[in-house]
Amino acid sequence: MLNQTERNVRQQVGARASWLWSEYSVIVAFLVIVIVAALADGNFLSYTNLTNILRQVSIIGIISLGMTVVMLSGGIDLSVGAVLAFVGGIALLALNSSQSVTLALLAALACGALIGFLNGVMVSKGKIASFIATLGVMAAARSLILYIANGGSISGEVEAYTLIANGEIGGISYPIILFLAVTLLVYVLMHKTPFGRYVYAIGSNEKAALLSAIRVDRVKIGVYTLCSSFVALAAVIESSRLNSISSASSGLAYELDAIAAVIIGGTRMTGGRGKVLGTFFGVLILGVLNNMMNLLNVSPYLQGLVKGLIIIIAVLLQKKE
Amino acid sequence: MEYVLRMKGITKSFNNVEVLKGVDFQLKPGEVHALLGENGAGKSTLMNILGGVLVPDEGQIELFGKRVRLSGPHVSKSLGISFIHQELNVVSDLRVYENMFLGAELTDRFGFLRVDEMCRRAYDVLSKLGISLDPKAYVRELDASFRQIVEIARALLEEARIIIMDEPTTSLTDHEIDNLMALIRTLKSSGVSIIYISHKLKEVFSICDRYTVLRDGRLAGTGEIADTDEEQITRMMVGKSVADINYYRPRPLGAPLLSVTQLSCAPFFRNVSFTLHEGEILGFTGLAGDGRTELFECIFGYRRAAGGEISVYGRPVRIAHPQDALKAGIGFVPKNRKENAIIKDMSVLQNMSLTALKQYRRHLLIDDRRERAMYWSYKERLAIKAADPHTPIVSLSGGNQQKVVLAKWLEVNANILIFDNPTQGIDVGAKSEIYHLIMQLAAQGKAIVILSSEVPEILKLCDRVFVMHQGEITGCLERSQADEEQIMLYAIGVKREGQVPC
Repeated sequence: MLNQTERNVRQQVGARASWLWSEYSVIVAFLVIVIVAALADGNFLSYTNLTNILRQVSIIGIISLGMTVVMLSGGIDLSVGAVLAFVGGIALLALNSSQSVTLALLAALACGALIGFLNGVMVSKGKIASFIATLGVMAAARSLILYIANGGSISGEVEAYTLIANGEIGGISYPIILFLAVTLLVYVLMHKTPFGRYVYAIGSNEKAALLSAIRVDRVKIGVYTLCSSFVALAAVIESSRLNSISSASSGLAYELDAIAAVIIGGTRMTGGRGKVLGTFFGVLILGVLNNMMNLLNVSPYLQGLVKGLIIIIAVLLQKKE
Repeated sequence: MEYVLRMKGITKSFNNVEVLKGVDFQLKPGEVHALLGENGAGKSTLMNILGGVLVPDEGQIELFGKRVRLSGPHVSKSLGISFIHQELNVVSDLRVYENMFLGAELTDRFGFLRVDEMCRRAYDVLSKLGISLDPKAYVRELDASFRQIVEIARALLEEARIIIMDEPTTSLTDHEIDNLMALIRTLKSSGVSIIYISHKLKEVFSICDRYTVLRDGRLAGTGEIADTDEEQITRMMVGKSVADINYYRPRPLGAPLLSVTQLSCAPFFRNVSFTLHEGEILGFTGLAGDGRTELFECIFGYRRAAGGEISVYGRPVRIAHPQDALKAGIGFVPKNRKENAIIKDMSVLQNMSLTALKQYRRHLLIDDRRERAMYWSYKERLAIKAADPHTPIVSLSGGNQQKVVLAKWLEVNANILIFDNPTQGIDVGAKSEIYHLIMQLAAQGKAIVILSSEVPEILKLCDRVFVMHQGEITGCLERSQADEEQIMLYAIGVKREGQVPC
C-alpha cells in the first residue's frame, strides 16, 4: 500500500514536471540562448542590438502568428511568402497610382483578405488539403507578381509610405509596435474568444467539433482570411522598408521561416495544441540565433544549417511529453 | 505441465486509475478459455499485457513453466503468443500468402521474394486447417470470415502456441461463425490454447472449456464451463445488484415534438416516418447496416437528406448543419465517443462549454466566471467525477466523459436528445447512472431517442421500439409487446409491417 502511495506521488511529481516543461520549454530555451549570446558577445545585450533583433523579426513574426492560427486549426498555409510579394506589389502600384498611403494600405488588406478567403473556401467547402490548395495559390501568386512586374521590381513613389517601416514612436520603431500589437491581438483571439476555442477544437477533432454544432467551414474560412490579412500587413511593412518589392525574391521561403517559428514554439503539426506565446518566443529564438551568428561572423551560408538543426532539436525535445 | 500460462497478481494503472487489481489467470494446454467481462472490466488490458503491448506495474507471468518478461509485442510473438485483434490486421490489397508472410517474407540469397515457397507453405497451413483457399487470392475479394482465417493461419505459420481472439465473430454471418468454430476445434486438437474474448454467451457455451470473468479489474470467477450456466456468468459479469434494477418509470406523454415524414438518404435509409412526443423515449435498433445512425445524423444535420420532411412542434424545419439542429432544440450524443464527441486535447470544462460557448460571451470575450459556474452546476447535477475544471477530458472514465457530452446539450436547452450507443465502453455502475439520467430527463419532458444494438438496453428504457432492417423501418413495437425475439424477427427482415402505423 505504502509502495502504491509512493508510486502515485512520484507519478504526480513526474507529471507536474513534464507539464511545466511542455508549457514553458520554449521560454526556457529562449533564455538559455540569450544567456549564451550575451556571454559570447558583449554587444548583444545593448539596447540598439536588442531593438534591432525585434525589428528584423517583426515581419516574419506577424506572418508566424497568422500561421499559428492556421496550424492550430489543423491546416498549413504555404502561400504566405508569395502572397507577401504579390500584395506588396499591389500596395505599391496602388500607392503610385493614387498617391495615397491610406488607399495603398486598404488595397493591401483587401487583397490579402480576399486571397485568404479563397484559401479558406478551397480548404473548407472544396475539401482540398490545405497543403495542396495553398501550394497552388503560392505558385499562382508568385507567377502573377512576376508577370505584373515583368520579372523585376516595383518601387514606391511616395516618400510618406516609407515611414511605416522606418518611423518610430519613443525610440521604438513601428514594425516592432505592430508585431507586439498583433501578438497581443492573436493571444486574446485564440485564448479568450469563442473563435479561438473553436479553432483549437477543429484542430484537435474536426468531426467532434462539427457534431458540437460548430460552424466548422466558417471558422476555417476565418482562419485563412486572418492569416493572409496578417501577411498583407507584413507585406506593407516589407514594401515600405525598402520602398520596393522584388517580384522574384521578396518573401521567398518566408513560409518555411514562419512554419519553423511555429514548430519551435511548440505547436503541433496536426493542430489542436500549441500556444500563441510559444510562437512569439519561437520567432525570437530564430531572430537571436541569426543575430548571434552575425555578431560572431559565422558565414551566412551556414546559418541555414543552424536553423535546420534548431528546428529538429526543438521538435525532438517536445516529443518527450 | 498443467498450465501453459500463469499470470499472477497482475496490476496495472493508467493516470492513477487502477484498471487491473491483482488479477490471476491460468491457461491449460489445448483448451479454449473464455475471458469474459463487461466493457472496461480489464479484459483488453490483461490481454495487451500478455501480448506485450503493455507492461504490468506488478505481477508475474509464467509461460510454459518459465518466468518471462513480456517487454514488447515481438517478445510475446517470439514466445508463441499471437493476438488476433477485433479490427483485423489484414491488408486487403495484398494476397493471402502476402498477408501471412507480412514482415517475415522468405527471400533467396539475392534478396528476392521466394513466392512459390511462401505459397506452398501457406497452402500447407491452410489445408491443415481444412480450408481450401488459393494463397494467391486477394484478401479484398474474400468474405469477412476468411480474413479471420488468414489471421489465424498467420498465427500458425509463426508457430503460435497461444492464440488470443478478441470478439472474433462480431462481423461474421452464422455460416461463417460455424466455419470459425470448426476451425477452433481443429486448432484445439492440435494442442494450441485459445483465449476467447466474447460477449456472446451462446458461443462461449458451445466452444469453450473453461472461463475467467473479470469485473472492475478484479477476478470475479473462474472455472469449468460445464459447471456453470449463463445466468451465473451474467451475475459474475455485472454484479448481481445492477443486473435487475427496473429503470422504467411510466410518465405522461406530451404533445408531438419531432415528426419525421418520408425521410430518405440513399443508400442508407428510405421513407422513414415517425413521431416523437414530449417525455417519450423511443428506441431504434437493428443489425449492422440498418441505417439508424445515418438516419439520425441526417436529422441532426450532419448528413444531407435527399427527401422528406422534419418538423418540430408541427413547424417544418430545414436542417442543413448541426447548428440548425441546435436551434431546433435537437441535441446529439454520438457513438464512438473518442472519435465523434471528445476533444481530447481540451479540459473537461472546455469540452462541456463548447456547444454553448457563445452564451458566455461578454464584450466578445469568454466570461470565465460564467463558464466555470456552468461547469460546477453540471458537475453536481450529473454527478460528474472530475478533480477540477481543468482536468484533461481523457483522464475521465467513459461514463463521466459521456455525462460531459450530455451536459453540452443540456446547456443549450436541447429538448430532443438523441443518444447513439450511449453506454458504449462504459462500466457497469456508470451504465446504471446513465439509464437513471435518461429516465429523469424524460420525466422532465425531454423527448429522447436511443439508438442501440443492445436490445436489453432498449427494452430497459424505451416506450416504443422501432426496428430497422437495411434502411427501412420494419416494425414498431409498444413497450408491452416488445421482446428480444420479436425485435430480432423484424431486425433480420423476416417480419415486416409494411407502412408502420405508429
